[in-house]
Amino acid sequence: MDNIDNLISKLSQDAKAVKPAHHPVLLSLEWITFIVFYLAVSLMISSIRPDLMVKFQHPWFIAEIVALVAVFITTSFSAAFLSFPDIYQKRFIVLAPIISFALFALVMFLAWRADSPPSPAPVHSIECTLNITLMAILPAALVFYVMRKFASTHHYWSGSTILISAFSIGALWLRLYEQTNSISHLITCHYLPMIGIGLIGMWMGKVFLKW
Amino acid sequence: MKQSLTGNAHAYTTLLQETTRLLRPYLSKRISFSNEVDDILQEILVSIHKARHTFDGNRPYKPWAFAIARFRLQDHLRSHYADHLHHAEEITKLEETLQMDVTETDFSYESISAEVEKLPEKQATILRMMHQEGYTAKEIAEKTGMKESAVKVAAHRAYKVLRQRLER
Repeated sequence: MDNIDNLISKLSQDAKAVKPAHHPVLLSLEWITFIVFYLAVSLMISSIRPDLMVKFQHPWFIAEIVALVAVFITTSFSAAFLSFPDIYQKRFIVLAPIISFALFALVMFLAWRADSPPSPAPVHSIECTLNITLMAILPAALVFYVMRKFASTHHYWSGSTILISAFSIGALWLRLYEQTNSISHLITCHYLPMIGIGLIGMWMGKVFLKW
Repeated sequence: MKQSLTGNAHAYTTLLQETTRLLRPYLSKRISFSNEVDDILQEILVSIHKARHTFDGNRPYKPWAFAIARFRLQDHLRSHYADHLHHAEEITKLEETLQMDVTETDFSYESISAEVEKLPEKQATILRMMHQEGYTAKEIAEKTGMKESAVKVAAHRAYKVLRQRLER
């Protein structure tokens, strides 16, 4: 008991005024703004696919992009809320990525069914996954760095959402840059690795978000 | 909490004291040893101190504090059980022991009795009373007029001497 009293007096002596952290919505908007800017710069450097305007007339392409953006936004929001020990007392937000991910999977399934006859697959395969991963490194590192300053009590879930968020922005970049129409290629080389990335994120969350 | 975020040390002390009062029963229900409860409580208070910038005063304090408490408790239990697993004997190692006849010893009753007789009279009497006649240390103390602790010490010394002699 004495130890606790001593500790309390020590902590009280150390209690300087602190600036409360931003609201998680504001925090996620800051991340989203930075990452969208990063995407825009990356697209300016790499240039966008020449048939982008034509592709935007295809409903399944629009649906895919919208679903991918939804995955990015929901995971970003979820990660921001998960930065707080009590998830800012809004636990349902954490489930939002599951809904957007299910929607995305449904869109891809329907797009794959609609891709008849199937578009020819590109000659490359694993390069896409590597490009997306490289593109995702900076946003992932940034969000991990910011999140370490907070106090997440859900390391696995936080790490997973951070990496999926970063990977989805990489996938979005490649979709707007690379002229590929083969849905089976997109599923196997662009989007299925997301599941593995989510698992790696769990491990990274455990390692990097300890406090 | 709002006042303590502005650097009010008195308000912060009161808050931490109240938090301790709030969390102690929660931890005591989940952990049996009171010294461990104190250890975890200290960890939780330090964590609350470190994470206080994540509380803005616009939402209830209790769920926030309990989220940290639960997190630290899980951490503690995880490392506690991991330690137990680390120190646990592997079942494959135990298998060799389990097959052995644990009732079989290198010493016979006669050899032990003979060694007991060679002990100083007082030690031999104590061992006989304890192991042949079934008296407790307290009863022997009453019968012999010794102190109970002296009986235990004498018995302990006798065991030591016996072990050395029998293992030779």
